[in-house]
Amino acid sequence: MTKHPSEEKSLYLPRVAEITSVETIAQKEKLFEFNFQDGKELGHKPGQFVEISIFGIGEMPISISSSPTKKGAFELAVRAVGDVTNALHRLSKGATVGIRGPFGNGFPVDEFTGKDVLVIAGGIGLFPLRSLINYVVDNRKNFGRLIILSGSKTANERMLVNELERWQVMEGVELLETVDIGNEKWGGTIGPVTTLFSQIDIIPQNTFAVTVGPPVMYKFVIGECQKKGIPDERILMSLERRMKCGVGKCGHCQINGVYVCQEGPVFSYARIKKDKLTEAI
Amino acid sequence: MKPKVGFFDFTSCEGCQLEVLNFEGELVELLKLVDIVNFREAMTEKSDNYDIAFIEGAITTEAGINRLKKIRERAAVLIAMGTCACLGGINCLKNFRTMEENLKIVYGDAAHYYNTIPARPVDAVVAVDYYLPGCPMDKDEFIALVKALLLNKKARLPNYPVCVECKLAGNVCVFEKGETCLGPVTRAGCKAICVTNGRHCWGCRGLVDDPNIDSEKEILQKHGLTTADILERFRHFNGYLEVSK
Amino acid sequence: MTEKVLSKQNLNIFINTLLSRGEEIVGVKKKEGKYAFGKIADAEEVCLDYDITLLPPSMYLLPQREALLKFNIAERPVAFPVIEANPFILFGVHPYDIKAIELLDTAFSTDNLDTNYLNRREAATIVGVDCLNPNPNAFCPSMDTAFTDKGYDLLLTDIGDSYVIAIGSEKGQELLKGCPDTQEATQVELKRKEEERQKALGKYKVALDTPLEKLPQLLDKSWNSPLWDERSESCLSCGSCVMVCPTCFCFDVQDDIELNLVEGERYRQKDACMLVDFAAVAGEGNFRKDKVSRYRHRMYRKGKYIMERFGRPGCVGCGRCASACLAEIASPAETFNLMKGESK
Repeated sequence: MTKHPSEEKSLYLPRVAEITSVETIAQKEKLFEFNFQDGKELGHKPGQFVEISIFGIGEMPISISSSPTKKGAFELAVRAVGDVTNALHRLSKGATVGIRGPFGNGFPVDEFTGKDVLVIAGGIGLFPLRSLINYVVDNRKNFGRLIILSGSKTANERMLVNELERWQVMEGVELLETVDIGNEKWGGTIGPVTTLFSQIDIIPQNTFAVTVGPPVMYKFVIGECQKKGIPDERILMSLERRMKCGVGKCGHCQINGVYVCQEGPVFSYARIKKDKLTEAI
Repeated sequence: MKPKVGFFDFTSCEGCQLEVLNFEGELVELLKLVDIVNFREAMTEKSDNYDIAFIEGAITTEAGINRLKKIRERAAVLIAMGTCACLGGINCLKNFRTMEENLKIVYGDAAHYYNTIPARPVDAVVAVDYYLPGCPMDKDEFIALVKALLLNKKARLPNYPVCVECKLAGNVCVFEKGETCLGPVTRAGCKAICVTNGRHCWGCRGLVDDPNIDSEKEILQKHGLTTADILERFRHFNGYLEVSK
Repeated sequence: MTEKVLSKQNLNIFINTLLSRGEEIVGVKKKEGKYAFGKIADAEEVCLDYDITLLPPSMYLLPQREALLKFNIAERPVAFPVIEANPFILFGVHPYDIKAIELLDTAFSTDNLDTNYLNRREAATIVGVDCLNPNPNAFCPSMDTAFTDKGYDLLLTDIGDSYVIAIGSEKGQELLKGCPDTQEATQVELKRKEEERQKALGKYKVALDTPLEKLPQLLDKSWNSPLWDERSESCLSCGSCVMVCPTCFCFDVQDDIELNLVEGERYRQKDACMLVDFAAVAGEGNFRKDKVSRYRHRMYRKGKYIMERFGRPGCVGCGRCASACLAEIASPAETFNLMKGESK
């Protein structure tokens, strides 16, 4: 007895979304805007992720890059590294994809109310953080200072340059940038993102630090945050794992005993220590 | 535009090409997707204009090296098809004798008319984009690779040993039956066809990326094989690899 | 509910009656000196005095490969869910495997309902049988899985010339209606059932040195033990331990397309944390790239993570992994006991 599809709710059936714009943001990175065909919103929080499907190729988790304050559409910034992301890069406006989600806990933005937010981005870690940054920017009066530290591998690999320039001149946003390897045009700081910590002055008991970047970066960023006096409960990071199902079943995203797709991807350093998530960073 | 495909044989039994002709139902479907322009075992016409080259067989002559390099220059995608092409395979058994000995054994008094070099897999000569290991290569893997190429998707071979597929097939372990097996270090993808049919694994698909050879050898010894037996077992298909030396 | 008694001869008639009315029965059959679940065509094939099956019966609830979606990408891509569930009887399931199925029930209904699993589970009728000849690698009493009083529709216990049948559900009661000559079990027969069970308990050769509920604490202290390196040194990463495990339920999801390059399906298939690429991410990263981290992760799932997450142990002590492991390192009981010995 095969039940009629409409009688059943499948955890694995994506909703159909249409690509409404594509913008090239760097060599291997594009920013896609999507609209659901049923006209509904994604209804996400900053820091959550979706599972994107290109049927015939596969499905993979991608962090949401737009703030929920952006109404109607949502955006995903995507680096072409695997089958699905490469296939997505070959699509243009008007094409459709499958979307499941939003999944995960997201950044605890409610706790940030009235507090200073220190964002530390490494490479394409800026993509998920963009959802948070624009959320703070769009609700400016609810938060204290917004400090962004952004590190790129080379001056040519700076992500979301237009957006960085927009934030740079925005009132109430302090943006500091660094690159590992400069070029003739780069007149700014050179070195890993942690070098920028010496250039900022913060009130630790009033600050939430939020970081996303390559796994190797976290240990160093946490160290700098601690040196600044930020308590471990307020040092937050998003952990990248292979969230295959997104619904807490497949086991791929497990870090020690936790399922990143259910309890993460955002974890405080305090949680990582308390639950002995030795595999986390 | 349908991609143009060529099949080229080097030193082998040509069983993998034969396998393609055995596809029956799928062959008709495949021909809707690609144009075969070079296939000695199946057609007389030939063309040097192709996008995808399937290479069968190991490389065992200087002439073969030159011919293979020319094919590589012409093909956008080059695929090593079958154990001989992927690993050198059975042909590498001759590498454990001098080439003079080999010529003498095969050609006797006429040995001086011929020349041969140690057998080697295709990737010892040119870059290989994809591998279809197995003696013969696996039909499903072949079709999956063609589909992946047409979809612009990376085809990947399993990176786990035959044991995975053997267990899932519900087989009684070869070792439990008092025999020995290379399944624990051999790359899966064959659905454990040999064990399922009452044999054991000879390692025709080559080793997984990071095989635990020490442990496998220890287990083989515990089950009665001598060091010489073990070496012989590995040399059967994997003579080109370090493990057989 | 009262328990029934059925002669062995009548049980065969019962099975054949079910078959003749078109029921699909999956039961235990002989296979090259071992036992395996498979489709039953005649009651004569059914073995109920087996020690262990090669693969667990849970594979009939969570298949090795299962379609999740069908799609068509001809024009604008469309996809439909595939949820298949055909009624069948899982016949002769041992209590440890029943408890493993209960874990799967919990895992697939916690947080998000996995209808693919749950519908198939609902379509299944489980006829259990007490394990009276345990496998030499089994340690069920330590894991509280030697016997069970729930999780089945019917449960048989061999008392010599007949079976005592415990009824676990209305579904079981209904099934039994088609059974000839069941009698109310007498006090004598129930006493014999108890004696048989006691005898079986004496046959286990492996036991845990740590009380079950203390396992998470034991592992909590063992993360940095040198034993992990020692134990995993000979690991072949061959996946045998996890492929035969009744409580392993992790999976991979892939797309497959027909040769017309238009129609296809998204499917899930068994995957496991002992395989090298399980924790690999896009690009080059692999969060458990060395065998010791995979080996330790599996043991923590068996003894700690699953228990803390789902409230029941991640291992039922069936001994399949230990039987399948050529390197002789897969037994959770043996591993936990070594850890316990070290922590003293």
